[in-house]
Amino acid sequence: MDAATDPPGAVAAGIVATGLRRSFGRVEAVRDVSLHARAGAVTGLVGPNGSGKTTLFLMLASLLTPDAGTIRIGDVDPIEQPHAARALLGWMPDSLGTWGALSARETLIVTGRLHDLPKDAAQARADELLELVDLTQLAKAPARVLSRGQKQRLGLARALVHDPRVLLLDEPASGLDPAARVELRHLLRRFAAEGRTVLVSSHVLAELEEVIDDAVFLLEGSSVDSGAAIAARRTRDWRIRLLGQPTDAAASVAAALEWPADAVRVDRSDVLIPLATDEDAAGALRRLVERGIPVTEFAPAVGDLEQTFLDLRGGEGA
Amino acid sequence: MSATRLWTLVRLDLTQRVRSVAWYVMLGVFAAILVAVTALSLLSFSYAGGAGAGAGVYSVVVFVVLLLAVLVSPTLSGNAINGDRDAANLAPVQVTLATTAEIVLAKFLAAWLTGLSFAVIAVPFMLVAAVSGGVDPLVVLVSLVVLIVEIAIIAAIGVGLSGIVARPLFSVAVTYLVVAALVIGTPIAFTLGGAAIRTEVTYSSRDYMYDAPGDGTSEPECSPWYTSTSQVPRFDTVWWLLSANPFVILADATPARFDRYGNPDDLFAGFATTVRGAQIPPEDTVTWDACDPNFQPEQPTSEEIYNQTTPSWFVGLAVQLVLAGALLWWGGSRTRTPSRTLPPGTRIA
Repeated sequence: MDAATDPPGAVAAGIVATGLRRSFGRVEAVRDVSLHARAGAVTGLVGPNGSGKTTLFLMLASLLTPDAGTIRIGDVDPIEQPHAARALLGWMPDSLGTWGALSARETLIVTGRLHDLPKDAAQARADELLELVDLTQLAKAPARVLSRGQKQRLGLARALVHDPRVLLLDEPASGLDPAARVELRHLLRRFAAEGRTVLVSSHVLAELEEVIDDAVFLLEGSSVDSGAAIAARRTRDWRIRLLGQPTDAAASVAAALEWPADAVRVDRSDVLIPLATDEDAAGALRRLVERGIPVTEFAPAVGDLEQTFLDLRGGEGA
Repeated sequence: MSATRLWTLVRLDLTQRVRSVAWYVMLGVFAAILVAVTALSLLSFSYAGGAGAGAGVYSVVVFVVLLLAVLVSPTLSGNAINGDRDAANLAPVQVTLATTAEIVLAKFLAAWLTGLSFAVIAVPFMLVAAVSGGVDPLVVLVSLVVLIVEIAIIAAIGVGLSGIVARPLFSVAVTYLVVAALVIGTPIAFTLGGAAIRTEVTYSSRDYMYDAPGDGTSEPECSPWYTSTSQVPRFDTVWWLLSANPFVILADATPARFDRYGNPDDLFAGFATTVRGAQIPPEDTVTWDACDPNFQPEQPTSEEIYNQTTPSWFVGLAVQLVLAGALLWWGGSRTRTPSRTLPPGTRIA
């Protein structure tokens, strides 16, 4: 992007957090989280329920003081200078309140006014954002009649009112219909292309995988280095579909690979085989093709992100 | 502190109230109560003729507005902050440029303005009273100022507690308790305190004695002195307890008006006289001498009582202002972000 045409405040602002810790009474919500979300990239925050994602977001959003650790949004410390941080930050909370009596448009105008936008600018920005999140038709409806997905879109628009450099999106896809999810993915990519920092959490890992550049894994309040996470990966399942989906597919795959029959599993009409590395996968595919097995599909049974996530959880449990 | 952001937040709060049907129902009920009260007080003060009636009706209307404000204000303000937090509407405001002081102050102003709308509804009724005549403009001015300040105090107490207490239902209840402590608790403490502190009073009396009824010739004779003692409560030691009562403050602060016999013109003066009368200590000895032709039992008029006692409304008002200010400040400090501690069981979003 062309720095010369940017407004002065629009310097790239990444998020750097180190050694964050926060407990509520005896409950340690966040134990040790370090993360770096680059400007111009979408960073995914992946973790099971109760892994501290929301608490982490609250600390990044300048609402909660960490017990230990430091946060920098660009060169702003949100704990010491919350006012400056809030000008940079757009936060979309996981539990999203709406002012029930206000219309979507009024909600955005009020939020704009609270970000010191002049009246005209706040109105123009509200119309622009309603268009962006496809709520123009419902602009005048009171927020209480909006569906969950529509409220979610309004929440996203509200986080964008002041054109923030850094976006913290806590489960933005929940409640969205498939079309809106695709739209959201496009939006997130666009924000990153505009040089913004996007930190997004989601449970829908397959979807997250399609949009993120980096991933941060959170497990029981601690961040896990994604390199270590991938190294921790053990075997993963590969899904094989044969032409015509014959009933003896498992047997013929096992025979071709010279594996014992019980090493090959059947999932509906597909065959699942566990393989440790990508090299093993390439070798297995070559072998199948050489033996004349009519393979129509050969792919990981679950996405990279999901596999890593499952591995981490499994590793923890072991 | 930005006036634009403050006003945006006040408007946000008021807009949400104004758009609820319940709000209009409440104002309607309030107007109906005022119609009934005004009609009844016009009838009951009609003995006073043109001059006194207006003042009487006016004071009744103001008292009823204060009563309604006391009854309703805790629900308008007692869940201001924690209610928003519960609805996940607080954090999205906290991440804007609006500061904690602006948020809390806006909540207070909105609750105050909402409470004042009851006073606005009462304006036509006050006009009716004024038109019936006899209302001193100074009485109108002072009583309205006190009314407005009292509504502000209750609003501040409610908003403050809503920032301190985590659960909306509980903070509304606590607000009611604090208001009840001022309104009902002060007279209870006054009564019990006065009754607990007692002193002995000696009564001496003598009367004429008549030997034979119907005779008419014998000179009536004086009976010997009859003496008895009994214990009386010393309300003069605890009268100051009442000074924190909103109704006492309203009555005591408003300039008292008496007619030419020293009787109170309106409810303000009457109430203030009754309350101030508690300041006068009882006599150690009470004498009743029917034989003394010059004996006159002392019966001071209301005006005399009023004039020989001290006003206390400013002390009570100061106590209330300090209480309200402290609660508001405490509530604000509990709402500050980034927050270090959370009330147990609250979600910050």
